[in-house]
Amino acid sequence: MLKAVSVRLYTSLLVLVGTMVLVFCIVNVLPGDPALLILDPSSATPEMIANLREQLGLNQPFYERFGEYFLHVLQGDFGKSIVNSEPVLPKIVEHFPATLALTALSSLIAVVIGVTLGVLSAIHRNRWIDIVARMVGLFGISMPTFWSGILLILIFSVQLGWFPAMGSDGFSTLVLPAITLGFVGSGFIVRMVRNSMLEVINEPFIVTLRAKGLPGRFIMYKHALRNALIPALTMVGVIIGDLMAGTVVIETVFSRQGIGRIIADAIMAKDLPVVQGVIFFSAIVYIVVNLLVDISYTLIDPRVRRTG
Amino acid sequence: MSTAYSKPAVWMKMTSLALAVTLVLVGCSGGAGKSSATNGGSAAGAAPSTAAEQSSTPVAGGELSYALATSPDQLDPHRSGLAVAVRVIRTLYDTLVVQLPGGEIKPWLATEWSISEDGKSYTFKLRQDVKFQDGTPFNAEAVKYSFDRIIDPETKAANALALVRPYESSEVIDEYTVKLNLSEPSQAFLGNVSQALLSIVSPTAAKKDGDQFTKHPIGTGPFKFVKWDENSEIVVEKNPDYNWAPETVSQQGAPNLDKIIFKIVPEEATRIGSVQSGQVLAAETVPPQNILSLKNDANSQLYQANTVGLPYTLFINHSKAPWNELKARQALQLGINVEAIVKTLYLGTYEQAWSPLSPGIFGYDASLEGGVKPDIEKAKQLLDELGWKAGADGIREKDGKKLTLHYVDGSPNREKRNDIAAIVQQQLKPLGIQVDVEITKDVATVVYANNNYDLYGNSQVNSDPNALYSIYHTTAPGARQNLPNLSDPELDKLLEDGATQQDQTKREAIYKEAQQLIIKKAVIIPIYVFPYTVAASKKVQGLAFDSLGYPIFNDVYIAE
Amino acid sequence: MKQAVIGKQVWQGSRAEGAAKIRKLKRLAPADLLLYAAAVIVLFIISCALFPSLIAPYSPTLMNTDQIMQPPSLQHVFGTDYFGRDVFSVVVHGSRDSLLIGFVSVLVGCVTGGAIGAVAGYIGGVVDAVFMRLIDVLMTIPGVLLALAIAAALGPSLMNVVLAVAAASIPGYARVMRGQIMSIKGRPFITASRSIGTSSLSIFVRHVLPNSLSPMFVMAAIGIGTAILTGAGLNFLGLGTIKEIPDWGALLSQGRGYLTVAWWICTFPGLAITLFVLSINILGDKVRDQLDPKQSRA
Repeated sequence: MLKAVSVRLYTSLLVLVGTMVLVFCIVNVLPGDPALLILDPSSATPEMIANLREQLGLNQPFYERFGEYFLHVLQGDFGKSIVNSEPVLPKIVEHFPATLALTALSSLIAVVIGVTLGVLSAIHRNRWIDIVARMVGLFGISMPTFWSGILLILIFSVQLGWFPAMGSDGFSTLVLPAITLGFVGSGFIVRMVRNSMLEVINEPFIVTLRAKGLPGRFIMYKHALRNALIPALTMVGVIIGDLMAGTVVIETVFSRQGIGRIIADAIMAKDLPVVQGVIFFSAIVYIVVNLLVDISYTLIDPRVRRTG
Repeated sequence: MSTAYSKPAVWMKMTSLALAVTLVLVGCSGGAGKSSATNGGSAAGAAPSTAAEQSSTPVAGGELSYALATSPDQLDPHRSGLAVAVRVIRTLYDTLVVQLPGGEIKPWLATEWSISEDGKSYTFKLRQDVKFQDGTPFNAEAVKYSFDRIIDPETKAANALALVRPYESSEVIDEYTVKLNLSEPSQAFLGNVSQALLSIVSPTAAKKDGDQFTKHPIGTGPFKFVKWDENSEIVVEKNPDYNWAPETVSQQGAPNLDKIIFKIVPEEATRIGSVQSGQVLAAETVPPQNILSLKNDANSQLYQANTVGLPYTLFINHSKAPWNELKARQALQLGINVEAIVKTLYLGTYEQAWSPLSPGIFGYDASLEGGVKPDIEKAKQLLDELGWKAGADGIREKDGKKLTLHYVDGSPNREKRNDIAAIVQQQLKPLGIQVDVEITKDVATVVYANNNYDLYGNSQVNSDPNALYSIYHTTAPGARQNLPNLSDPELDKLLEDGATQQDQTKREAIYKEAQQLIIKKAVIIPIYVFPYTVAASKKVQGLAFDSLGYPIFNDVYIAE
Repeated sequence: MKQAVIGKQVWQGSRAEGAAKIRKLKRLAPADLLLYAAAVIVLFIISCALFPSLIAPYSPTLMNTDQIMQPPSLQHVFGTDYFGRDVFSVVVHGSRDSLLIGFVSVLVGCVTGGAIGAVAGYIGGVVDAVFMRLIDVLMTIPGVLLALAIAAALGPSLMNVVLAVAAASIPGYARVMRGQIMSIKGRPFITASRSIGTSSLSIFVRHVLPNSLSPMFVMAAIGIGTAILTGAGLNFLGLGTIKEIPDWGALLSQGRGYLTVAWWICTFPGLAITLFVLSINILGDKVRDQLDPKQSRA
């Protein structure tokens, strides 16, 4: 098992370097001259623009710029924002907890709703409960989040006054955005849990248990659910990236702090080092989370332990 | 606010003028305003448009939460370039003088001043009882430091640099007397000194923090900086020592409020929702459709202040055929129904613009109002005369070329400007003009660097009709072209005269002629005048606006 | 993410269970109803995209500025928007670009991803390792972020949104395709044809590929929904396209400011997106159940 983990770690590192190359490539084909954005286009002279380009290193060849960036990243230096010359990494680290809190609570909501609905729909397969549960889950993945977010604000903040409409101070401001985002995630988990529950129900060991006369409900919850949790967990690993990406929209709708907001602003301002930094940082988070998910399988499912 | 400065007009060199009026560069958000709730009013301090009974007496204490539509870029006045930043900067810093609605300049940190014969040096006597929030005494040295800081390239000053021109140097005469020297006379200088971007900063703090001064701003203002959580909020608290408010506010001493919390809420629906749900007490930039519903809301009130300067205007690019021809431009002028646009999109909450200048500015020509009326038949006839004949698909053609209009606008859709493009596209269709709308994030490249547009709209906040110079005067060789790519000797002459003319009556006549000429030659299509709006709980009392439309919080209190 | 769901599924033989079969038949009614409703909605929306002028009562560009923000009525079933356009007509015409974003981006993503996955899975070895590491790299960047970065890099246009969404979906298709190919490669009938001397390419084309495609179809169907939603999200962030006839995402995004004043302006485009994505998911789920013998023995 230790060996498996170290192999995973090694490939993760490779993937990380690949991600860096990819992000660097995408970000550096952004149109428009960053120098023109910093300078006032109505008064800047060509020399001023040329000087700034030189200063920003925009005149160096691509591979040189990448090499330089790579060396800096190894030392934990993600560069400085073009807009306000703040160092990128500390800024991301400062804003990440807010995004992490939102992503974590959203995942929790997604798992709770998703597993509940998934189990219900598997147990009551093809009955109304199944259909309603699946529809609720599907609604989650079928609605644009900025729309459902605004609807939640209008209902729960403006009309009912239960939760604040925006902000990132305290748990109460986390509720509406986390529900909006968690609802999306739950849609995927419902489907996953339902399918694996149905698979498990037909497994020989369940059939045997049933034949032995154990009550159906008991078997479902005790044995089938346990086995259905693994796919739910896998889904968390898969959707965590999408939930984090979802914060780009959600943090804007709910005026929350976080790295989603930072990248949205940075893309608009063509603040390349920041765009690069945030995407790369979220890739690291994605890799780490999936590593953890992989490792935690072995704890839940003995079979994986043996084969892994 | 009309902006005839009370000081005699002085001669002004063209080049400096051109630079000075880029102060709020095209693309600025409309921050300046006529501080009046009703259009055409003249009192400082807008009254809420709802008839709220406001007989309660000011209460000390309390917190005001105020939702901003965008995040300030800087809290260092010398480096900022955004109107939204000025709303916060005004609470932290003071300026040497203050401008009244109507343009008159009054004392603030300076008690009196004199201008030399040649108009090139200004001597200010300063208040002696002022100190910065960090305890640094306010004196002539501090003033010298602030002005020198703006022109120091190290500071990377933006709009402040344009405003301060033609400032050259300062001399400390004594502890409380300072002389500012200009490289050439400038009529606009004293008015500019009243602007928030030329605020006096604490020399100790600014020297110590350098680049990071924006994170720990220190001034002499009625509020002290507490914290700035990026993308979330900026908090300022009462400066208890404050005792030097200008005459534009009623409370000379420290403000009523203990704290102001500026929340940054870009999403419109969320911002309005947060004021309706009571999460914040006030929110700025209310969209027109919400203005109407908030006016009927028993718990809310609405403040509105019209901006001054150049209204939102569509500039026709004269370097692109066929728009270099008068008849083609006139066809656009007659074919675009501005009244319908303004009525449809702004639901009667914005005023239609008629001139290259907005009402309230010195020299505004009200006789232009109602002058241009849409006339599709006439427009068609003009295009016919130019030889553009309708093609098979209804689009006019000439020499095998289709009649297209490349309409460029910026993203995001600020003040519904993208929607104007959508309407213009439909309005010009019956004329046989195919409008290609390009919405781009990168206006800087498309419009300014590549000159790739037939029609592009913008506005500018300004307090003097000199603003026309940088937009309409022939540009110097080698410099970037003005927005309409215009070079008209007749207009050039008027704009030059307007800048140098000392007789106010004659100056006014010159600018009226210039405005008429611009409309007659169909250089532009003026669209609307932008009102700065604030939706607030009825508990919020005493909110006022300065001569440029920025909110003033000194007298604000929360009534219970 | 749905990709993973499908990829997990294993093909297994079925077992008889007569009693359950009969029980199930009785219970099928509500599910079938849903299925029919979904099919009707998808067909209707596709016909809207194909023949908008036949269905829409008004021109989508007709701005009747005297009749702005009229609530739904007999004359305007979805009301009118802030330009005075008939919302129903705009939504009907807007379906074309929305579906275009959905279908084309799925086509591009599916073909590219499928090809990568097929080659990697069938050839195996170093090629597989290299391709899969590339896919791993793409996977680490969440789809929306990737789309966001690409849309920002290329500028706002319909085709760029399509490309951005397509690129973001490539890794999912590649993984599923590879999984399918690998599982089929080892089946007895493949080994059999190999032993009788059929060429590798011909086995691939005749046997492996056809047997691997069905889960890809399901995934593609569901991907259409994801693509439309991603497009809507880009619109919200200001990276969408603004055209004379806007797609649903643009309509919803542009109309959201009017929600409290004229709810119908953005609600109907929003419902169009939701219903279409929902219906296509219901159909996709059903097809998948059918394809999976273990789960549908009816």
